[in-house]
Amino acid sequence: MTDTADLERRYRRLLKCFPARYRREHEQEILSVLMAGAAEGQRRPGLADSADLVMSAIFMWWREATRQPRWKWERRHPRLIVRMRVAIGIWLLVVGGILLDKGYWWGVAMAAPAALHFYLAYRLRHAVQS
Amino acid sequence: MQEATFLILTALAGGSQHGYGIITDVEQISDGRVRLRAGTLYTALDRLRADRLIEVDREEIVDNRLRRYYRLTSPGEQRLADEASRLQANAVVAMSRLRPAGALR
Repeated sequence: MTDTADLERRYRRLLKCFPARYRREHEQEILSVLMAGAAEGQRRPGLADSADLVMSAIFMWWREATRQPRWKWERRHPRLIVRMRVAIGIWLLVVGGILLDKGYWWGVAMAAPAALHFYLAYRLRHAVQS
Repeated sequence: MQEATFLILTALAGGSQHGYGIITDVEQISDGRVRLRAGTLYTALDRLRADRLIEVDREEIVDNRLRRYYRLTSPGEQRLADEASRLQANAVVAMSRLRPAGALR
């Protein structure tokens, strides 16, 4: 197998990290860019390029997951869901604050899901307005 | 606006370009300082498209490889112009304050 084909196969494997919908539209295009930037005789993706692809893929998954209201009940009752998420977020923070007594990590463990609920509420509100 | 985004828009202000063309152009504009990697470039392009600042111009197949060309939209041009004059205004102030300080030494 030639070096080029080797490299391309490895890049393709990395590109599988991206969400399917995004890949359908952009895989060929990104592959062209990667191959155009490859050095003569290169057989393996560089570490920095691989890390950059994986990070971008995680980012695209996150974007994909939060772009549109995913669930039917979110689309049907957006305002109610926004209020519910905010309420759950606040409740989690309060519980986290109380549990801070029992140890620092409890507070952190509650803050992360609270942040997620706030973020999802923010996205949904944004989607409703636009 | 992040510098990479600013440079991508600047690259497209000269006319439509494909992914690799943007990378080499951004490197040239920034005097070799900014070398975009493919993942970073496409996350930025995806955001810019979602914000309607750029759009797909055309597609070509060269050596069996797909090239998709992007171009600025008019909101994109406007946004880049605003950002450029903001940066310029800041730079002018910075320069004017540095000059008298330098003269004192």
